Formats: sequence, structure tokens, C-alpha cells
Amino acid sequence: MAVLLFISVLLIAACGLIYELIAGTVASYLVGDSVFQFSTVIGSYLFAMGIGSFLSRFIRRGLAYRFVWIELVVALVGGFSSGLLFLAFAFTQGFQVFLYFIVIVLGILVGLEIPLLMRIIRDRYHFHEVVSHILTFDYIGALFASILFPVVLVPYLGLVRSALFFGIVNAAVALWGTFLFKGQLPSPRRLQVMCAIVMAVLIAGLVNGKRITGLAEDNIYADEIIFSRDTHYQHIVLTKWKDDLRLFLNSHLQFSSRDEYRYHEALVHPGLSAVPVPRHVLVLGGGDGLAVREVLRYPQVESVTLVDLDPEMTHLFSTHPFLTALNQKSFLSPKVHIINADAFLWLDSSQDVFDFIVVDFPDPTNYSLGKLYTTVFYSTLSHHLSRQGMFVVQSTSPMFARKSFWCIAETVKQAGFKTYPYHVYVPSFGEWGYVLGSQHDYAPPSSLPQGMRFLTLAGFPGMFEFPPDMAPVTMPANHLNDQVLVRTYDREWREISH
Amino acid sequence: MKTTRREFCALGAAALVGLSVKSGRPIAGEFVNDSFQLGHLLRDHAHFPAARQIVRIPLVIVGGGMAGLSAAWRLQKRGFSDFVLLEMNQQPGGNSRWGENHVTRYPWAAHYVPVPGKHAEYVRELFTDLGVFQDGKWDERYLCFDPQERLFLHGRWQEGIEPQADLTVADRDQFRRFADLTHSFRASGGFTIPLEIGLSSRHAALDRMSFADWLSKNGFDSKPLLWYMNYACRDDYGALAADTSAWAGIHYFSSREPEEKGPLTWPEGNGWVARQLLARVGKFVRADQMVHLIQRDRVSFRVDAGDTEYRCSCVIFAAPTFLAPYLIDGMPHLRDFQYSPWLTANLTLESIPESHGLQPAWDNVFMDSPALGYVDAMHQSLRTFADRTVWTFYWALAEGTPAANRQMLLQKDWSYWKEAILTDLERAHKDIRKCVSRIDVMRMGHAMVRPAVGTIFSPERHALKKSEDRLYFANSDLSGISIFEEAQFRGVTAADRALHALGRSS
Repeated sequence: MAVLLFISVLLIAACGLIYELIAGTVASYLVGDSVFQFSTVIGSYLFAMGIGSFLSRFIRRGLAYRFVWIELVVALVGGFSSGLLFLAFAFTQGFQVFLYFIVIVLGILVGLEIPLLMRIIRDRYHFHEVVSHILTFDYIGALFASILFPVVLVPYLGLVRSALFFGIVNAAVALWGTFLFKGQLPSPRRLQVMCAIVMAVLIAGLVNGKRITGLAEDNIYADEIIFSRDTHYQHIVLTKWKDDLRLFLNSHLQFSSRDEYRYHEALVHPGLSAVPVPRHVLVLGGGDGLAVREVLRYPQVESVTLVDLDPEMTHLFSTHPFLTALNQKSFLSPKVHIINADAFLWLDSSQDVFDFIVVDFPDPTNYSLGKLYTTVFYSTLSHHLSRQGMFVVQSTSPMFARKSFWCIAETVKQAGFKTYPYHVYVPSFGEWGYVLGSQHDYAPPSSLPQGMRFLTLAGFPGMFEFPPDMAPVTMPANHLNDQVLVRTYDREWREISH
Repeated sequence: MKTTRREFCALGAAALVGLSVKSGRPIAGEFVNDSFQLGHLLRDHAHFPAARQIVRIPLVIVGGGMAGLSAAWRLQKRGFSDFVLLEMNQQPGGNSRWGENHVTRYPWAAHYVPVPGKHAEYVRELFTDLGVFQDGKWDERYLCFDPQERLFLHGRWQEGIEPQADLTVADRDQFRRFADLTHSFRASGGFTIPLEIGLSSRHAALDRMSFADWLSKNGFDSKPLLWYMNYACRDDYGALAADTSAWAGIHYFSSREPEEKGPLTWPEGNGWVARQLLARVGKFVRADQMVHLIQRDRVSFRVDAGDTEYRCSCVIFAAPTFLAPYLIDGMPHLRDFQYSPWLTANLTLESIPESHGLQPAWDNVFMDSPALGYVDAMHQSLRTFADRTVWTFYWALAEGTPAANRQMLLQKDWSYWKEAILTDLERAHKDIRKCVSRIDVMRMGHAMVRPAVGTIFSPERHALKKSEDRLYFANSDLSGISIFEEAQFRGVTAADRALHALGRSS
């Protein structure tokens, strides 16, 4: 009897600490600045526990009954805390408010637990024994939780399901309490049914927890997921590890904040710097605003039109503090016009003309995306180029998908353009390729905007030089009715991954 | 009433289960475009009200399907505009009719035109007019996007409709031998589109046996090959190989270039062509005008439709020829015109069903299905992201006699066909019921002419093709094959002959 009672104390203590750790961790993942997050979360949690201890004095009667109820409320609030925090981050602007609200509610409830428990069992033991035993198991529980959390829970269960799991433990303690304190409870049966319901809800949450935030994919991403959302169009995941922020769309890496400047400088400047007077620029795809950031380095550019399918993507990159820091608030520039539309349809119906067009679509992994790499697409594009205009196409890796790269180059060519393929090295991608298309001859620029971290004029000749392992191969063009590119790309990347 | 604890727990469990089971959405729909009621009025010699006005006009075209519209297109191109086209239905287009909803346009029947070969001179001319063929090149927007076709067999999808998976060496040999045979038939020049150009008595013997007999006589017994042959006959003729003339079966495989990168197609199928033609010749079209009498006087015709009596010197009869004996005073009944009953359905999908293994194609076929599969209307859209679409489901009722199947089309209610269609699609799309919001069903008792044994070289048909004396038959059923190119060829040549008779050929 005594041992079981004190094991419940151990479990309660562990649960309490786990919720605190989860809140601190979620806050550091989502908002960053982990020292601040942990300090304030732990501080407010401990303070709230103090409030709970203080409030315990006002509970005079029905101690066991109220203890069981408190356990059940802790089970529910704590169990869903992690999932709710993620959802609050994803769907509201008030994440911090919600965070401290949850932390304080939990702290008060957890603060109530031990004083109540001490009073419930004080008749069974001497006072000094009660204090000693309970505090001993309380601290053992804390140790148990603090080791379990980083070693087992986060890696294997993830944050959402760890919280739910410990919610179930809390509810189990409540159920156990109804047996332990049977004599002190007015209607133990009814309480037991309540415990069963709370456990069922938490178990249902555990089973469906994957869907809530998409954390099921934890294991396919190397780093911690700080944002995950299924939009109408795609699955957006942001991961963060130290200062490396990565964006994945439908599980494909789009950029790493450590080296994205290489990719985006190389995407924009070789072409745009060579356009005599670039006034109007179009960016197709590129909902991360990073290509737009590079375009805005040109003071003579009067307007940048960005066409991206997904409004949630452009909204995210207009508002999230990490992301606006990365794209230097490019979407908030008055020069920038964001249009959320299907690029091909928009291009087909628009009359606008541009001096430079950046074509920054995801790789042609399927027949739908493959349409954006066809002769018809590039000839449609040609109606939107001014006389001196030029465009650039991100064209996958000439190293890993050599045939695909040269297939894109051939497609641009067959659509009636002179092509100027080039490549750069982006550590998180490997060798990456681009194709410049133009109606006239291209000469590399004589100057680049200020502040380049990667591109230099001296480096240009090397970019347009393809060593033997990436040298041109003869490929047919990609057509709407015969998507050679999609099949080639699929084959080439499959070979790499085996 | 007091709930016991056991009941309470059971309720809770049921509620939990209920949370995780998604209920199927209610599916709306109805029969649409029924036209047999009108046909039956003619068959049953119903009484039609007397005409209230007389319109004198040199030429009347009866029927606004592809043949009638093509005749009108030809007349207009040759500078002739003294004619009307009378269409029985509210919507012209015949087998090229189309529909439109909040998602997309979609076809009701014919949904593609193969890239026309060198003989199909009028089709090439039409597509040049419509901007589909420019500077010697086909506009790629109208060529069927990749991937074109897939086949669901042995529980998974494969690319292309010709079975490839799990073939034995013998199967492969037979496919190869069949390809060699069709190659030599193609090289003979006897199997052309339009078929009139190559039609030669050299191959008349093939029209006297069924395609199934011909296959068996030539030692073809591979199951996948025979399935494919039957599929081809059901798809193009609405008939099994056993009910198809061997000549027609061979024509299917030998009349087209094998390496063409087509076909030409549009979201609304051949409805696109119909729409383009209507934009040009729509002013001549009188829809909802059922012709109920055609009477020949000494020098003119009387054509009664609705409350109007047309007096004309020439008639182009572009409606299905089987209707002619019911309309044309004194015309004997026909023996050599059989028609296949069909059913098509358009399914509105609010989400895209799962499709394990292979990306969705334009034409999606199930091997062990009595139906022909479905065509995705959004496939030919330039958009890269489609979360809703319309599927056109095709079902030629080929098993059993056409008469019995027509009876069944009339008897079974909408729910019966809805269930049959969903059950068929569930072979490959387990979640189909969760995606579909609407299924509209179109029943066609005489959907297309059936090239049964003896059809192609039928003397009766030959006589109608040659009919002179200012009444010209123009429906594709004169060819014995119901395809776009035949309809267009018949319409154009009938227009030319009518112009000649009217003394307008220059």
C-alpha cells in the first residue's frame, strides 16, 4: 500500500516536470532563443506551483475527491498542451500569451497536488515521515523525468505524443487514487467512469496525434520541426537546428538558411545584372521571398511581381519572424505584388511584359510540375518578355541529374531561345544548375550589386564552364504530350538514392 | 431513462469509433440528355401538330451532330448560306456534346480525335481553320498531355492500355505477330481514314467473318491479347470481337500510324470542336426542332419540324440513318444498320481519389471490368494543381444483344447505374465514394453504329452512300464506323454534292 502510494507521487512529479520541459522545448523550437524560453517557462511554472500550494489551504473538505479531479484536469491540459501549443503557433498570432497561460494553469494545478496529497495521507503516517517520503519520491520522479525526456521521449515519441502519454499517466494515477482513497470518496464509481473517459480521450489523441501537427514525419527530417502545416496545396515543414533553418515542401528540401544565399544569388544576378535597364521583374514560384530579396538589390527595379500558388506560403514568409529575417521582409516592399495563382494559367491569361523573369519551380518530380518545364510553357513565357528581356530557370543538378538538366536546356532552346546554362556549388544541394534563356546574345555582367556573399565577377567564366562529368548530353525536349523530363528525372534521382 | 454503466461505456466506445470512420458523402445525380422519348414518338407514329408557317429555303440539314455541323462548315466556307440545320435536341453536337459545371467542361461522349493522317484532308483543313494545326505543326496544347493511358490489372496500374505486366513468352510472341500482321494490312493501303479512300474488294472477305473468328483462325489465343482486341472493339464499336466484322477489327489497328504522339483532345472532348464549329455556323442551327416528316414532291422536299414546314430543293440527312425510314415518306426499313447501346456518366469529384503506384492518366482503364474506364477532364488543363475534377465514365453495353441492353437502359433506375459505376471504380479507387459529389448519367440506346459482320460491304449501305436526287445521307453510320473523321468526311462530301445539285459548285 505505502509503496504504491509513493510510486503515484513519483509519477505525479514526473508528469509535472515533463509538461514543464515540453513547454520550454516547444517554445524554443518555435520562437527560438532557448535560454530565454526555458528561464521564463521554468520561472513562471515554479511561481504558479507556489500559487497552487498557497491555494491548497482553501480546500477544506473532500480532499481525496478534489485530488482525483485535479489529476484529471492536469491529465487533459497537460496531455494536450504540446499539441495545443503547436496549433496556437500555426493558427494564431498570440503564441506567447497562450504559452504562459498554459504554463501557469498547469503550474497551479501541479502546485495543488502535493500539499493535498500530504493532507490526505497525514493520518496514516507521522508528519515527519509524510514530508520525508513524499519529497523523496517527488525528487526521484523529477530525476526520472529529466532523464527520460531527452533520451527516450523526444527522439521516439516526439513532443506531442510525449505530452499525451504523460496525460494518460496522470489519468491512471487519478484512477489509482479512486481505489487508494476509496473510503474517503463519496462515489468512487462515478469518478472511475470519468477517469476512463479522460483516458479514452487521451488515447484517441495519441492515436490521431500524428495528424494534428504532422509530426509523424519527425523521423524523415534530421532536425527539429518547428513548423508543419498541410495547406490546400502542399505540406510545408520548417526545421531548425542551431542557426540552420530549412524549408521542405512535400518533403523536398527547398533551402537551408546556411547556404541559400549561394543558390539565390546565382539564380538572380547572372541574368538580371546583364539586363540593361531592368524595370519590371517577374518571379514564378519562389514563395519564400528569397529570390525577390535578391531582385530588390536593384534600385532601378520598379516592380516585382511574384506568382506563387500557395497563399499560406507567401503569408508565412511575410509574417514569421525567422522567415522575414531571412528574406529581409522582401514581401513587405511596396514594389512587390504577390499573386497567388497557378503559374501556367496566370501566364497564359496575363498580358504583362517583364524585363527579367525568374522561373523558380520545384523540380519536375511529377507530370503536373513537369508541365512547367515544357516547350509550350517557355513559348508562353516568351510573350511576356520585353525586347531586351531574359529569363532564368532553376534546372536541378547537372551533376546528379545530368540528363534532366540538359533536357531542360534543350527544351528552352526548342522554344526559340538562345540558352546559357551555368552551375554553382550549394553545399546542401550539391552542384546546382540554371539555364538562362534570351532572344539575343548574352554577355556576363560587368558589375554586380553590393553585398554579394558568394558571386564574384571573376567567378563567372567558371560557372558557365561544364567539366566533363556535367558536360552536355544530347536530350530531346520536354513536351506536354511527351514528358521525357519527368521520366528522366525520376530515373536519375532514383539511381542516386540507391 | 437511466443509462447503465455498461451502456455508457458501449456508447463511449461507439463514439470513439465513430470519430475515426468517415462517412461517405451523399451523391446527387440524375439521368440527363435523354432523347429516346423523342425517338419513340417517331417510332410509334405519334401525331404531330400541323405546321403554322412555311419557310422556303434551298437546303435543309437534318441533324446537328458532327456530320451536320461539318456540312454547314463546308457550305459556309464555299460561300453558301441559304440553309438551315435542324437539331432535335436542345444542345447540338450529337456525340460531341459536352457539359460544364463549377469544376470544368467535360465530354458527354466522343472525347478525342487521333492526329489526322495524310488521307484525312478535310480534318486537317478544319484543324488549320481552328488554329490547332499551324505552320505544319500541331499545337501541343491540344495534344493529349503525358501520361496518356494506364491500365489497372492484377491489382496495380501499368502505363499504356496494351497489357504488359505478367505476360508469358507465348503472349509476347502473339502480340508481336499481331503487330506484324497489322503492319502489313496498313502497308496494303486498304485500311484508311476516311475508309472510303482505301476500301477495296480485295479485303471484302474479311467483312464476312467476325473479328473473333479471324483471330482464332490466325492462331491468336493469348488471353491478354484477346482482352485487348475485345477492349478495342468495345471502345470503338461498342461490340465484342465476336460481334464485330474482322474488317473493322483490323481497321482499328491498321488505319493509324503507330508512332503518332496524340491524340488531339480537350477538357470537353470533341465538344471543343463542336463549340468552335457552332461559333462559326451556329447562326444556321435551329435547336429543339425535331423533324417528323420528310416528303419528296416532284421538284422539292417538304421537311416538317415543330411548327414549321420547310420547302427546300435539297436535304442533307445527317441524323442517324436508322431514323430515316421513320421520317422519309416511302423509305423502306433498313436491314444492315445495327447500333450499340451505351451509357456514359460524368462524375464530379470534390477531391482526387488515391491512386497507388502510378500517376493519374488521361484515359484510365480497368482490365476486368465490363465498362471501358474513365477519362479525366482536368488532365488537359495547364494548371499544375487540381484538387477537383470530373471523370467521364464510359460503358458500352456490349455483352448480350443490343435490344436486350436497350431494354435494360430503360428499366434500371439511376441508383442502379450509380452503384454499378462506383463498384466498378472501387477496383482501383477504394475511397471513390468519399470523393464523388455527383453522378449524371446519359443513356444512349443507339449510341453508335456497330460494324457487325457484313456491315462494311453491305449493298444497302453502298446504295445509300450513292443516293442521288437531292437527298444526301451524311451520318458516320454510312461508313459503318462511328468516328469523328468519318462523320466529318460524310458531312463535307454531302455538302459538296448538295452544292453541285444546287448549281453552286464553282
